[in-house]
Amino acid sequence: MAATAQDPSAPLRGPEKKDEDRDEDTEYSPFYGIEKGAVLQEARIFNDAHIDPRKCQQVITKLLYLLCQGETFSQKEATEVFFSVTKLFQNKDANLRRMVYLVVKDVCPASDEVIMITSSLMKDMNSKTDLYRSNAIRVLCSITDAQLLGQIERYLKQAVVDKSPVVASAVLVSALHLLSHNSEIVKRWTNEIQEAVQSKQPMVQFHAVALLHALRANDRLAVSKLVTSLTKGPVRSPLAQCLLVRYVAQVISESQAASGNDSRPFYDWLESCLRHKAEMVIFEAARAICNMAEVSARELTPAVTVLQLFLSSSKPVLRFAAVRTLNKVAMTHPMAVTNCNIDMENLISDQNRSIATLAITTLLKTGNESSVERLLKQIGNFMSDIADEFKIVVVEAIRSLCLKFPQKYRALMNFLSNVLREDGGFEYKKAIVDSILILIREIPDAKEPGLGHLCEFIEDCEFTYLSTQILHLLGVEGPKTKDPAKYIRFIYNRIILENATVRAAAVSSLARFGALVQELHPRILILLRRALHDNDDEVRDRATLYLQQLEGQAGGLDAVDVKWNIPAKNLEQGLKKYMENGFQKPFDLASVPVAVAASPAKERKAPGRTLAAPAPTQAPKKQDDHAALLKTLPQLAGLGPVFKSSAPAQLTEEETEYNIVVVKHVFASHVVFQFNCTNTVAEQVLENVSVAMDLAEAEDFEEEAVLPLASMAYGSVGQTYVVLARPEGSMALGKFVNILKFKVKEIDPSTGETEEEGYEDEYQLEDVEVTPADYIKPVAVANFRSVWEELDPESEMADDYGLGLRDSLQDAVEAVIGILGMQACEGSDAVPPNARSHTALLAGVIVGDVQVLVRLSFGIDVSRQVAMKMVVRSDGRDVSEAIHQIIQDA
Amino acid sequence: MGIFLKLLEALGLGGKKVNVLVVGLDNSGKTTLIERLKPKHAQSAEVAPTVGFSVDQVRKGGLLFTVFDMSGAGRYRNLWEMYYKGAQAVIFVIDSADRLRLCVAKDELDNLLASKQLPAKVPLLFYANKKDVPTALSPVEVAQALKLEDIRDKPWQIVPSNALTGEGLEKGTDWLADILSR
Repeated sequence: MAATAQDPSAPLRGPEKKDEDRDEDTEYSPFYGIEKGAVLQEARIFNDAHIDPRKCQQVITKLLYLLCQGETFSQKEATEVFFSVTKLFQNKDANLRRMVYLVVKDVCPASDEVIMITSSLMKDMNSKTDLYRSNAIRVLCSITDAQLLGQIERYLKQAVVDKSPVVASAVLVSALHLLSHNSEIVKRWTNEIQEAVQSKQPMVQFHAVALLHALRANDRLAVSKLVTSLTKGPVRSPLAQCLLVRYVAQVISESQAASGNDSRPFYDWLESCLRHKAEMVIFEAARAICNMAEVSARELTPAVTVLQLFLSSSKPVLRFAAVRTLNKVAMTHPMAVTNCNIDMENLISDQNRSIATLAITTLLKTGNESSVERLLKQIGNFMSDIADEFKIVVVEAIRSLCLKFPQKYRALMNFLSNVLREDGGFEYKKAIVDSILILIREIPDAKEPGLGHLCEFIEDCEFTYLSTQILHLLGVEGPKTKDPAKYIRFIYNRIILENATVRAAAVSSLARFGALVQELHPRILILLRRALHDNDDEVRDRATLYLQQLEGQAGGLDAVDVKWNIPAKNLEQGLKKYMENGFQKPFDLASVPVAVAASPAKERKAPGRTLAAPAPTQAPKKQDDHAALLKTLPQLAGLGPVFKSSAPAQLTEEETEYNIVVVKHVFASHVVFQFNCTNTVAEQVLENVSVAMDLAEAEDFEEEAVLPLASMAYGSVGQTYVVLARPEGSMALGKFVNILKFKVKEIDPSTGETEEEGYEDEYQLEDVEVTPADYIKPVAVANFRSVWEELDPESEMADDYGLGLRDSLQDAVEAVIGILGMQACEGSDAVPPNARSHTALLAGVIVGDVQVLVRLSFGIDVSRQVAMKMVVRSDGRDVSEAIHQIIQDA
Repeated sequence: MGIFLKLLEALGLGGKKVNVLVVGLDNSGKTTLIERLKPKHAQSAEVAPTVGFSVDQVRKGGLLFTVFDMSGAGRYRNLWEMYYKGAQAVIFVIDSADRLRLCVAKDELDNLLASKQLPAKVPLLFYANKKDVPTALSPVEVAQALKLEDIRDKPWQIVPSNALTGEGLEKGTDWLADILSR
């Protein structure tokens, strides 16, 4: 920004060097072939007694270029460059001085060396030339430490109100940087900064406003006050005004949403900004209004009107900005934007393709049913001129439009198939195919024409990935259509014409038709036989298999279309295990756990899962891993299904000899502790590893079995289990002291053999606790209200709790959810920012499959004390009581 | 050619550029001394401890001195070395009233003389500063304490001075100008 005050016509680079071997006709970049070693050599000219400013500038430019390109200087190189550059400080050449300031800041040698130039800079800071002063201030502030800052503070403070805008801006910007480490000192300058806000210089005012805001950024109330005073005050500079608009938008977003008919605070001011002289302020204000949360149509109108004017502006930037903002508004308030449709239709033919694309997509969002066809025609005209990325945007817009107006699917589908035939990259084609696939899924009527289009597409498709995807879809959907026979030709053509991968996919697809459609069965057999002579193994194998199956062997017709209900992850795990154990017996698919995996699958399908969905799906996955391991143990088979597995907890410090992680599995009448053990000592093998649990503090439990780990070699993970029995269905709690017991056998480092003799040893682990949350499984409820009504009101229990000091409501909500281990419903675990009260709805199932619903009402006061009211409903009053007990104990 | 240069000199325009390094312990009077070398109107009354170094240009005896005023504070002394290279003369300022730290000054001087970075025949000018203080040592005593007579490969001179008044400074710079323009 300092450049504003400097002579822009001054040469930054000297005239280009003339090399004999340089081709006169071609232009070289001035930075062509710059090399670090050579530049460092050249930098020696700084040491000359007679300094050539031109030459030095060139060298510094090269140094800066290298630094900007990410080249790093070693400590020694940096020191050398730095000290030689410091010798240029006395030079009178202004341009050279400017370069010196720049390079000193960038070379950045060790801190004790950079301090060298302090005195020189302080001298420059008090020089008469504004250029030196401003640059010296910038450099000084960037190299200084707190102690030195105290010494120069006086000068900086004065400079804030300096007459020269360059100097004042320099200090204000430097202060912004200083704020992170030395906020105390900057805070002392408030009066001067206030004065700078009054400055007539636009840049100074801009920076002063930014600094003033940064000083208060942590205090919402202060920001609000500041903004209030500034909006009434004398902010004239357009840049500063833009900044202010942003701060106002921030204040609006943080303030409580206006209730009822109250107009928002500052809205009037924002509206007045729409009539500002400077376009940037107008736009900033319009954008701020459009981005307000829950903006009403009435509030939007003036902003949209202004943006509409911009749409017909002669400046491309304004047109782009306006159409981009309108595009965003169209997502939430399509009606508000409809007025601009005529202007936007003109923009479709805009020279700038970004503007045109945004205009099109906005129109697609706001358009009504009648205008769809007309729009499509217009888009068709210009589709070929725009880049692939824009085409993808258009295709996505059309997809959403199609979902909005299902009746128009024919026109839209035709459009998609037309563009599908045009040239385009993979991403683009994929977007189109994805769109068609979605339409086929969502709109039943569109299925047959859609499949038809896709069939035509694969006739001439160069992307294997897309071809196989479509062939698979044809295999699934084709047999269910009215006339399956017509797809056979398309699929068989693939077997003749395509590469091996596509041929294999086509064979599978054909086989499906053969299995599902009786009339086609004989014909398919003939076609598949032809594929038996394929030159690719995979294709032949598939053809052979399917032929056998279609003829009734190897599982028969049903086997062709396998209802695959085993999750791939479990299968992969099963296969991996199988590979490790050698290949003595054939792999049994039935050994792959299906039941366990069914739960996340079911959960995923459960309707009404809202915002909270992504978080819990992560957790069960991990538990599945452990649960899958449990399934492999015959000793645990009798315990029944796992009710809940806890998250793994570390029982040892990181980086100790043995790394132990515990997972608690809760069964109907047992708790199984799974200890995952890792041996990190290379010279030892541990044998007969088990964990002894002390039940002194857990009277309800009874030890039933201990499954030791036979051998624990270096680096591998093994499991040992402890099975504890507890009264069926009860929520027994307790704390256990654990000791790892094992037999150590040394490994001879020279031979790598394990010694025969070992000795018994123990290792103290951290305590494990069984908490109530272990017995509660988070289960989402689709409609909290209806389930709540269904539960017996008799079981309801309510109580109030004080939660003490909390950072925020979110914090408190998370803590309580964590203690209860229940699932937050309807996204109620997210507290809106700055809310003073919040209601969270939790659902869960307690061991013994008892449903529990909890309604939590939180409130936070000014001193951050949080109070909570908890209402519990469940299948039984005793259960409700138990839930309250959990909170009381916590 | 010689006449032309003399002419320029007389007009106060030309003159050879010479890089001069000013070193010495902290509080020996380096910055004050340089201030006093400047023309009257450019002198500043206030002198604060130098942090790092500062550069000045002074015209004296037909030469244009580019003076590197190094900070004498302990933490910066090892950085003097960075400026030895390219120095055409060294001015070593000694607080002749500070007997206690004379040995420290000697150590620093020995370091300077031992440095390979310093050009071989560089002239050394010693200012026995603060001669106005009653307890000040005479230049001869200072020279003895620093064992200046052992310096054989470089031309050197010791001059008593009072940087506050500027007394004795001319004598030193004249000697330097004489050596350098030879």
